[in-house]
This record gives sequence, C-alpha cells and structure tokens, in this order.
Amino acid sequence: MFTQFLGNYLLQKGIVNQEQLFDAMSKLSQTHIKLGTIAISSGMMTANEVDECLYVQTRENKRFGEIAVNRGYLDDNQVKDLLSQQTPDYVLLGQILVDDGIITYEELERLIFDYKNDSELYDLSLDIENQEAVQTIINKFFDLSDLKMTPENAMYLELMFNSLIRFIGEDFTPLTPMVIDEFPITFGVSQAIVGDNEFITHIDCDREAAIAFASRYAKEDFTEFNEYTVAALEDFLNLHNGLYIVNVSNNTSADVYLEPPVVTEDGVLWGSDKCIVFPVAYPFGTIHLIICF
Amino acid sequence: MDISNKKILVCDDSVLARKQLMDAVNEIATGATFIEGKNGAEAVEFYKKENPDIVFMDIVMPEKDGTDALAEIREYDNEATIIIVSSVGTQEQLKKAIKLGAKDFIQKPFEKSQIKEIIELRLGGK
Repeated sequence: MFTQFLGNYLLQKGIVNQEQLFDAMSKLSQTHIKLGTIAISSGMMTANEVDECLYVQTRENKRFGEIAVNRGYLDDNQVKDLLSQQTPDYVLLGQILVDDGIITYEELERLIFDYKNDSELYDLSLDIENQEAVQTIINKFFDLSDLKMTPENAMYLELMFNSLIRFIGEDFTPLTPMVIDEFPITFGVSQAIVGDNEFITHIDCDREAAIAFASRYAKEDFTEFNEYTVAALEDFLNLHNGLYIVNVSNNTSADVYLEPPVVTEDGVLWGSDKCIVFPVAYPFGTIHLIICF
Repeated sequence: MDISNKKILVCDDSVLARKQLMDAVNEIATGATFIEGKNGAEAVEFYKKENPDIVFMDIVMPEKDGTDALAEIREYDNEATIIIVSSVGTQEQLKKAIKLGAKDFIQKPFEKSQIKEIIELRLGGK
C-alpha cells in the first residue's frame, strides 16, 4: 500500500509526472528488486557506494554482492540477509524510476529517507507492511484540519484503500484529498450508511472512466456505458461499504446499516459535518470518492 | 449437471450481480430456468407465481429488503430454499437470516465453488 502513497508523494514533489508514474507502476509486477536498491533502502550502503559497485560491475564480470563484499561495504552475512528480505513495492517503484533514468540512486536514497520522515514512518520495516504503519500513513494522509477523524472514519478510509487494491487494482495513485462543505454531483452512485455512525458515500467519475472501472471490477470487457457499467459501480460501493459494516460489527458495538445504492446524475451531496473528496488516479482516468460525514 | 426442470429465482437490485450469479450457475449446470427480481417485493411476487426450486437473495435492496422478503416467502412456504447472497456478512445478519429460515449465507464477492456446492447440494446430483 505504501507504493500508492509514494506515488502521491512523488507527484506532490514534482519528481515525476503522472505519465511517468503510471508507466513505472505498470512495470512493478515484471521487475525484480536489485541488491543495491535493497542495500540503500535498508541503510546498509549509501547511494555512492552502490553507484561505485555498479560501475565496477560494468568492467568486471562479478555479482553485485561479491563486489560490495570485496570493497568492504557488506559482509557475506549481510548479503545473505539482504537477499532473503522481502522488499516492499514502494522501494521497487523507486528502482524502476532509477532504471528509467528519471532519478539517480542518490536521489532515491534521499527520497526514501524524506518519504519515511514526512510520512512519520520512522520504524517502517522493510519486510512487512504492518497494520500500524498503514494506519499511520492513512492518518497522516487524511490529516485534514477541518475534519474530526474518528476511529470509525479512519477505518472506513483504510478499508477504501484495501477495496481499491483488491477489487480494481493496485496501480493507482491517491491524489491529495480535500475537505469541502458540499459536492456538486456530475455522475455517479451514492450509498448512505445509517445507524449509529451515519454518512453518505459516493463515487463520481466521467463515463469513460466508469467503463474502465466497471470492466476491472466485473472482470469483463465493457466497451460502452450501459446498465452493467452503472451496476458495477453500485456493486463496488455496496461491497466496500458491506465490508465496512462487517468490520464495525466485529470491532465495535455500533449498529450501522446500508441503504441501497442509487444512481445520481445531478444535485449536491452534503453531510452534517464536512465532505472529503478523495481523488484516485488510475491509468484509465480519475475516480472521485466522496464521503460526507 | 443437467437441471433442466429446475427454476432458480435470482433476486438482486444489481443487474450485474444477477448476471454474475446466473453465469456462475450456467458454468456448473445446464438447462436451468431463471427468474429475475430486482427487489424484495418482486421476490415475494415471483416466488408465489413461479414456485422456484431455489432462491438466491440479496439483502440490501430497495422497496423491500431481502430479510423481509425471506420472512414473507417462508411464511407462505416453509419449505422454501432461500440462499442469502450479501455483502453485509455480519454475525448478526447471519443469525437473523438463519433464524428466518435461510438455508445458507454467501458473502459477496462469491466464489464460483460456493455456488457449485449449493447447486449440487440443493438441486441434487453431481
């Protein structure tokens, strides 16, 4: 999940543009992590040392680990440790940007350091995306001064990331969320959550994005905007909200229920407090998720 | 598996969810007759009219929800085979459905193997 947030961070800092980011994200599944990248991200080698070893590697037919050991940057046990580590995708994304010539190893080193610091992920371990770290980054991401963030609301937002990854695909970048009083609807589907913790949820997007989103959700190849594409948006929202209800039921004593999803083509959304507009950029277009608390 | 003489009522307000369920059944068995309902009121109406062998019913639906429709159908026919297929799989919802006489509860998104198991068990044969 950190990959998506790193994507947002890279866009915010102007390090990549959206096209470069999507291109890099599309290569994630076919790219293998390099030892030098793991060594940098785990702090065992500096970018300069990695660059030096890579330079030597172009002149000597040796493995990177062997060169690093020969030059005293790593010992055999450290090489073994690094090779056995499971590296999170966000580090791999950084490596792809280096391979594509968009950033250098030195910039990657600084980027990983700054990203962890800015996201308050000081103890982010390399091998697991632990629950606490995910919650930290989500709270930081949605640290919106105009909004009171209850544990249930934070849970909802965290689940939203999981649902997008699980049902639509992980190749998205969360764009910076906004807090507004009301949201003018263009087209989308809404669903109310009622009971002890009430709010309105909504997905808003243009028709082209809706077709692509629906195709991914339903695992079908929709080519036109029709009742099936609309139903897919409704089903996604209903499914995601259903998972939220199950989580609330398992973790709290609150009673919450779902109203049926409805298609909305105009009008204004508002809640008793504020609305979060949370844009999510996929290669096929941007989906706006709106939650009015 | 041939289920040519069987009627299946699929009740869900989502046209896509109905299609996915019918596609799943058609992959497992041939010849079923489907009846589609898009809310609880239609579920009750079509059940009384068509007397289906099995009902797949969503819970969150407009007009009349699946739980109310389940109760009404079971009141009309206490042998009715109704399977709840819902995204809201809370313990409370599950208990309520079973208490009202649902034969099974499938949490969305369903696996085709779950539908296969139900069809084999409830509509007989392999």
